[in-house]
Amino acid sequence: MMTRLPEPAGLLLDRTEQVSFQFEGRQYQGYRGDTVASALAANDVSVLSRSFKYHRPRGIHSLSGLDANTLVQVGPAPNRFADREPLVPDLEVMGQNYWGTLRHDRLAVFGLLHRFFPVGFYYKAFYKPRWTWPLWAKMIRRIAGLGTVDTNAPHGYFDKQYLFCDVLVVGGGAAGLAAASQAAAAGAEVILVDENAALGGGLLYGRADAGGIRAEEERARLVGDVEASDRISVMTETACLGRYADNWLPLVRGNRLYKLRTKALVVATGSLEQPLVFRNNDLPGVMLSSAAQRLIKLYGVKPGRRAVVATAGDEGYGAALDLLDAGVEVAAVVDLRMDAPRTGMSDTLAARRVPVHAAQAPWEAVPQRKGPRLARVRVARIEEDGVCAPSVDSFSCDLLVVSGGHAPAAALLRQAGATFTYDSARHATTVAELPPDVFAAGDVAGSTGLDAAMADGRRAGWQAAQSAGFDAGLEPDAALAEEEPAAAQAAWPIFPHPDHKAFVDLDEDVQVHDLEDAIAEGYDHVELLKRFTTNGMGPSQGRHSSLNAVRILARAKSRSVDETGVTTVRQPIVPVTMGHLAGRSFEPVRYTAMHFRHLEAGATMMPAGLWLRPEFYGDKARRQALIREEAKNVRDNVGIIDVSTLGGLDVRGPDAAEFMNRMYTFAYLKQPVGRSRYVLMTDLGGVVVDDGVACRMHEDHFYVTATTSGVDNVYREMLWYNAQWRLKVDVTNVTAALAGVNIAGPNCRPVLETLCDDVDLSPEGFPYMGVREGHVAGIPTIFLRVGFVGELGYELHVPASQGEALWDALMEAGKDHGIRPFGVEAQRLLRLEKGHILIGQDTDGLTTPHEADMAWALAKKKPFHVGIRSVRMQAAKGLTRKLVGFEMPGVDVEQPKECHLVIRGGEITGRVTSVAYSPNLDKIVGLAYVAPDQSEPGTKIDIRVGGARMVSATVAKIPFFDPDGARQEL
Amino acid sequence: MAIPAEERRRSPIYRALEAHGARFEALGDFAVASDFGREAAAEAAQAESLGLADLTPFPRIGFKGWNIAPWLAGNGVEMGETSNRAYPQADGTRIARLGPGEALVLADRSGAGPLIETLDQAWSMAEADGCFQVARDETSCWLLLTGVHAPSMLAKVCAVDLRLQAFAADAIAQTNVARLNVIVIRGDLGPVPAFDLITDLASAVYLWGALLDAMAEYDGAPVGLAAIRALLDGSEPSS
Repeated sequence: MMTRLPEPAGLLLDRTEQVSFQFEGRQYQGYRGDTVASALAANDVSVLSRSFKYHRPRGIHSLSGLDANTLVQVGPAPNRFADREPLVPDLEVMGQNYWGTLRHDRLAVFGLLHRFFPVGFYYKAFYKPRWTWPLWAKMIRRIAGLGTVDTNAPHGYFDKQYLFCDVLVVGGGAAGLAAASQAAAAGAEVILVDENAALGGGLLYGRADAGGIRAEEERARLVGDVEASDRISVMTETACLGRYADNWLPLVRGNRLYKLRTKALVVATGSLEQPLVFRNNDLPGVMLSSAAQRLIKLYGVKPGRRAVVATAGDEGYGAALDLLDAGVEVAAVVDLRMDAPRTGMSDTLAARRVPVHAAQAPWEAVPQRKGPRLARVRVARIEEDGVCAPSVDSFSCDLLVVSGGHAPAAALLRQAGATFTYDSARHATTVAELPPDVFAAGDVAGSTGLDAAMADGRRAGWQAAQSAGFDAGLEPDAALAEEEPAAAQAAWPIFPHPDHKAFVDLDEDVQVHDLEDAIAEGYDHVELLKRFTTNGMGPSQGRHSSLNAVRILARAKSRSVDETGVTTVRQPIVPVTMGHLAGRSFEPVRYTAMHFRHLEAGATMMPAGLWLRPEFYGDKARRQALIREEAKNVRDNVGIIDVSTLGGLDVRGPDAAEFMNRMYTFAYLKQPVGRSRYVLMTDLGGVVVDDGVACRMHEDHFYVTATTSGVDNVYREMLWYNAQWRLKVDVTNVTAALAGVNIAGPNCRPVLETLCDDVDLSPEGFPYMGVREGHVAGIPTIFLRVGFVGELGYELHVPASQGEALWDALMEAGKDHGIRPFGVEAQRLLRLEKGHILIGQDTDGLTTPHEADMAWALAKKKPFHVGIRSVRMQAAKGLTRKLVGFEMPGVDVEQPKECHLVIRGGEITGRVTSVAYSPNLDKIVGLAYVAPDQSEPGTKIDIRVGGARMVSATVAKIPFFDPDGARQEL
Repeated sequence: MAIPAEERRRSPIYRALEAHGARFEALGDFAVASDFGREAAAEAAQAESLGLADLTPFPRIGFKGWNIAPWLAGNGVEMGETSNRAYPQADGTRIARLGPGEALVLADRSGAGPLIETLDQAWSMAEADGCFQVARDETSCWLLLTGVHAPSMLAKVCAVDLRLQAFAADAIAQTNVARLNVIVIRGDLGPVPAFDLITDLASAVYLWGALLDAMAEYDGAPVGLAAIRALLDGSEPSS
């Protein structure tokens, strides 16, 4: 029977605030400061979950947020540790891993059928005959796993934050607190993290002396020192996931992942109390002594009515005294050691008339006849390690408190690269070697006793401060206060039973005989044994089971524990949610100066690299029609398109022309000022990587455009090559600095003339491919006469801050001329009618200039440009494919799509790169790669469309529209 | 009171400022947010705690090339040789030296920059001689993050240690903030920590939103020129 204790028990509780919550649909009350598990214990709920394999009822075991016994479903979140989950109002909590109810789990039948499920049975079953596997898979998927993922759960808000310090101390127990204060006193900035809600570690609940007052006194003093220091930042309820290179450590608190960089690290993570292994050691009511003490001290819960304490060391004596103080009747203390040493605590117990049975062990926990809970414990005399005489005694009890000694909480240190050794005299593990700038203190380092831990903490803090570059002075006094030396713990805490159910790993239901059977089968390496039996693969990651598994393996193979070794620890060393790893996502997006004008005009936006561009304007349901209308308006009238996303690069300096000549395939040395020229860039392999135009603004200044998605790469390449060539040239990426508009169509000149009075826009004054500088609506403008869409057109490049004003002015001036914005899709159609290629769409990672029919853009006489050798070799070698135009009738034909294959005689000869129906031409036009002998206009090609149907097209000469270019040169 | 959409030059963030209730004043061809409708003391308190101001309308100019140091020195600029450091000038402007061959000149906290005007007038392509002007007022937006919570907030979006004890006055970090390339300059407003953030103009709307999202934890909010003036006035010794 578990009940709530009066104050002062319950250090973490705020009894002024009651909290209502639900478990398994029933309403319960707890206090603020409770965890779900402690609140349920206070309500005498002993079963929290069902075990993974045999579906045995499970309750509180360690109460430290480590073991699968307390895994529950909290709202939509599965697999939450009930003993770490803070109790908040209206929490809805459910048990996990059952079919039926938590109390009556139909799958508990697996426990009765355990003979048919030997360890590793799933490696040997289900796969023969092969056709049965899908059936097994379906069934296994239904019953395996733990909680249920709610795929409709709302997204949580997770984020990340960087932290920096000189010394990070992980672990807020006696050693960690002492280390933090010592390092801070030396001048270091310290961050102290602890996974619990309050600082103190074992001092919060453990008993340091027979009188039961010293732990709290020391805790108050150590915590007071830390709080008084302005160089120490404390982070409680924070888990450290591991240590990466250069002392980079991820920490998790709440919904945030902290990325911490420290100069030195002190690990003071303490130790983990180990269980005893005997029959039915998993019954609700059997718990570690530290769990019982946590219930009493932290949460004010009386963990039982009548208890037996079984211990391999001194720890059980303190727990027995705490139980007595909490009003629990202690029927007996069972000490596994042959000679239970006499201490102040054992004397006090004797004075309180608690019998101590030395050289005995719990042999079997017996459940209630009609219930899951502990009813009695049978105790036997130990004859030798692990071997007991028949049961000698039986105690009626509802609580069995066990302590199998301690193992270092070494996951962080091991993962960081530390090595440990097993002290066979003390039957305990201690640190052997540490990585640079990492220090260990307290129990995790192998020190025993409170005074030793504090002294060790001071030493580690001093070392860490020195390592971080601080003058830490003389080493702190290591002299210990008078303290009883800790006695060795019992050597062997494992007592197999002929009827089995002696669990080594509660997470995975691994029993002693499972391990022994696996070893007998040849899985006699510690890593193999882990994987075959799954011992240590559950949520607690072997923290309560690995040491005993290693002991069993060592004994079976007649090796020492050190020789047997341990399994590898990998980060994250504690469970972490995907939300923490993902964090808040940052997805930069670039807007042009006219972005909001497009939205106001009803544009559907599409990504173009990091930019958003208008795909088309108007009702999405009329997409195709609107695109055609926009294109038609350009052909018949005047349209404007936002081309701000085009890359812009200023190449300036006395060697600018020479630089251009080396970077691009054309010739630029003699390009006149005030003229633009096409640019085509190849890489060293002769592959086409970008294009644009180069405008010569000054003898020493080229303003070069590049593709939207290619400009960053072009800029990088330019810097890379110029760093080698060391020409007198500076390259600046001015993409964002200039907003751009292409105003095109037969009526664009009159629109522009109303806004511009300092540039001669006549065909004679400003011919095709000319470049001018002037003003539009008072806005300083670079004018480019270009013909990408095949109409009279001007690209207007203006300062980005005035892009919106330019757009507004053009739209206003064009009203009387029927001006209309057009989007990327209309532009694609218009340029396709002209047969202009799009780099990246009509080219791929292998396209050469000759394949793309762009030999005209290669200067024949110049000695060098990037990729020239490869381009010339390709030309000499001949083509294997060629980009051509093709056309098909506009009606009664299935239109191919981009990437549909060109097939000849069952062989692939090419693919479609661009295709669209042209309303101007009333036919389907496209670009495709074909075999060289298919490239002559008039050649019939077959294209495989959806459903493997074949359609026929005819290779055509490009441009499809206005082949003489008369319209763009108006 | 100015209206951004009626000015010829517009900050890309002006709509976001309007959505937060900004009131604007004219600055050159721009409208710049002066306050957000709070009492004067509340505006200053917001900036002292955590505020974000859009200084994109403020004048600035850049220079790149192998000859920037002598050219700038010849035009009255005092700039040290150490890169990633800002050098305050007599007229209140600051020269941010981004590298041996790159410098950025920033207006003072009121948006005045006589030196910028001088340099702009002095430079020409014909006589560039290895020092090339960059239109930093068009390539980049300029945000100012103010307040005691600024370092903690920045730690949510930037991996560089920008704590006050690690990132001294006038220090510069050319780094990554919320996955954007950003120049971070420490430029306190008297006793109040402040960081200039200079980044890609086209990404301004994104960064503005990302920063406000990160600031929400500290009750951060947009501030305007009124708050900046108040903090600077408050830091000057009374006569």
